[in-house]
Amino acid sequence: MSPLVQVENLVKQFGKLRALDGLSLTVEAGEWIAVMGPSGSGKTTLINILGGLDSPTSGSVLMDGADIAGLGESELVRYRAEKVGFVFQQFHLIPYLTALENVMLAQYFHSITDEEQAAAALRRVGLADRLEHLPAQLSGGEQQRVAIARALINQPKLILADEPTGNLDEANEQIVLNIFRELHSAGHTIVMVTHAPAIARLADRRIELAHGRLEQITAVSAEV
Amino acid sequence: MFWRIWWRLLRGSRARLAVAFLAIASGATVCAALLNLQFDADRKLTREFRTLGANLVVSPAGPLGANPGEPLLMSEHVLDHIAAISAPPGTVAAPYLYIVGRAAASPNSEPKNVIIAGTHLSEMSSLAPFWKIDTMELPEPDPNKGCLVGKSVAQQLGLSLGNALELSYGNSHEQLRVSGIVTAGGPDDNQVFVDLPVAQRLAGLDGRISLVQLSVPQTPAAIEQFTSRIAAQLPGVTVRPIRQLAEGEGRLFSRIKGLLLATVILILVLTALCVLATMAALAMDRRLDVGLMKALGGSMRQVLHLFLLEAGSLGLAGGLVGCGAGLLLSEWVGRRVFGASVTPRLEVLPITLALMVGVSLAGAFPLRLLARVKPAVIFRGEA
Repeated sequence: MSPLVQVENLVKQFGKLRALDGLSLTVEAGEWIAVMGPSGSGKTTLINILGGLDSPTSGSVLMDGADIAGLGESELVRYRAEKVGFVFQQFHLIPYLTALENVMLAQYFHSITDEEQAAAALRRVGLADRLEHLPAQLSGGEQQRVAIARALINQPKLILADEPTGNLDEANEQIVLNIFRELHSAGHTIVMVTHAPAIARLADRRIELAHGRLEQITAVSAEV
Repeated sequence: MFWRIWWRLLRGSRARLAVAFLAIASGATVCAALLNLQFDADRKLTREFRTLGANLVVSPAGPLGANPGEPLLMSEHVLDHIAAISAPPGTVAAPYLYIVGRAAASPNSEPKNVIIAGTHLSEMSSLAPFWKIDTMELPEPDPNKGCLVGKSVAQQLGLSLGNALELSYGNSHEQLRVSGIVTAGGPDDNQVFVDLPVAQRLAGLDGRISLVQLSVPQTPAAIEQFTSRIAAQLPGVTVRPIRQLAEGEGRLFSRIKGLLLATVILILVLTALCVLATMAALAMDRRLDVGLMKALGGSMRQVLHLFLLEAGSLGLAGGLVGCGAGLLLSEWVGRRVFGASVTPRLEVLPITLALMVGVSLAGAFPLRLLARVKPAVIFRGEA
């Protein structure tokens, strides 16, 4: 069975800076990958390219058999709407939309909205009583849970999380990580950028980057 | 969901949008008022101009008679023919027969040469509304007919209201009584105005007149059309505008309309600039939102539709409010300037709304720049 994501010799150049320098890796369906490395090692650039937010300078990224490196703008729009779900460190909710509407926004861009389904997604992350709250009325942990519900609402093949607990206190971090655990158990494929070794240990594999290159791949089970 | 987001967008940026709304509503107020005035200006100015008197003269066409000194005359039936031509509403026409006769205040006094104008005295208030006439009711029964005497003639002959006046032309004489003294501030002050049959009897010119004066309360273009119709249907006459007045009317019409149009354009440009400034600030505020929407799979078309609908709604709302205020403003201006109310014109509403929506969409141009937003660049905080 072919991997869900296959990255081959990926290069991303920003002017003179080479953020990714010939990176190759694979992600199997249902796998949780933790991407680690120091600042500037290319973690976020990798996530952005996997999510179709940025395009590589060279190399290929096969997602479900299709090379997203060769997609045009309108195809990338569909790719982002249908194949991936993002969870950002800064939550990135639309401030003037309620929690429910933030989730429905992803439905709207995907196809059609279903308010009941969006509410169910928020209930699933423990926000049944926060549906009509604006982001400013929610705690950081609650905002991140809204972002997770939004990322899941269109049942994407790949969940991309860029330091999803980076702005949370310990209690909220645990809540969010438990949700990721549940998602992983349910068979979702997750690529998560993190600086925390403890969080990385929850993943199936840990990928460490340095200067845009793959430095180490560790199967977490092998460490135990 | 589209309308839900649209509503949230409006509510979410209400402070900034309020500034744009105020600019649009103010612009719409002035535009609607000026447009309403412009549409109603024809009627108002025409009415004002008609207080200046007649604006067309119909006289016999050449050639001159055998005797160069002999006046050119025409049949008074010309008046009936003119009436038969579909004259613009409100048109007033009066025949004139001018003769040079002699006038004396009493049989013993020295008669003096005067211009005697035979006309329909009852039409004078419409044809020469600028005249100041001191009048008196003649006692009934009075064997003598009334006449109007120009101020200069009255001074030369020492006439007062109610005095007898004898007019003579050759061997003909008419006894009249001064029923009014005219102060016109021009040649009319040197004339004696009598009923047309009196002048015709005096001169022995039954059924003949010198000219017809018309007051046509219409725009210069409509007067021009009416002139052409008379010339086409009455080949024996010449129709002339009273040039100084007609040209003045035309110039003033075009200047006022040009001024109103230029002001409307200026207001539209200023409104667009204000909306542009607000929307530019809004575009900066929304870069992250747009980046996020794109990251979630929103196409630029979907996102721009939202923002343009927001701008269009703003234009529509501002236009509606401004249009109502503008009609009130034009009413006030109409009373102040023309001394009469300005009729609200229905066509002002759609024109103002269309202008304001157009201006809002043009002013929302900076939001189109959001199409260039790249989510990854925004999330990196580089834009």
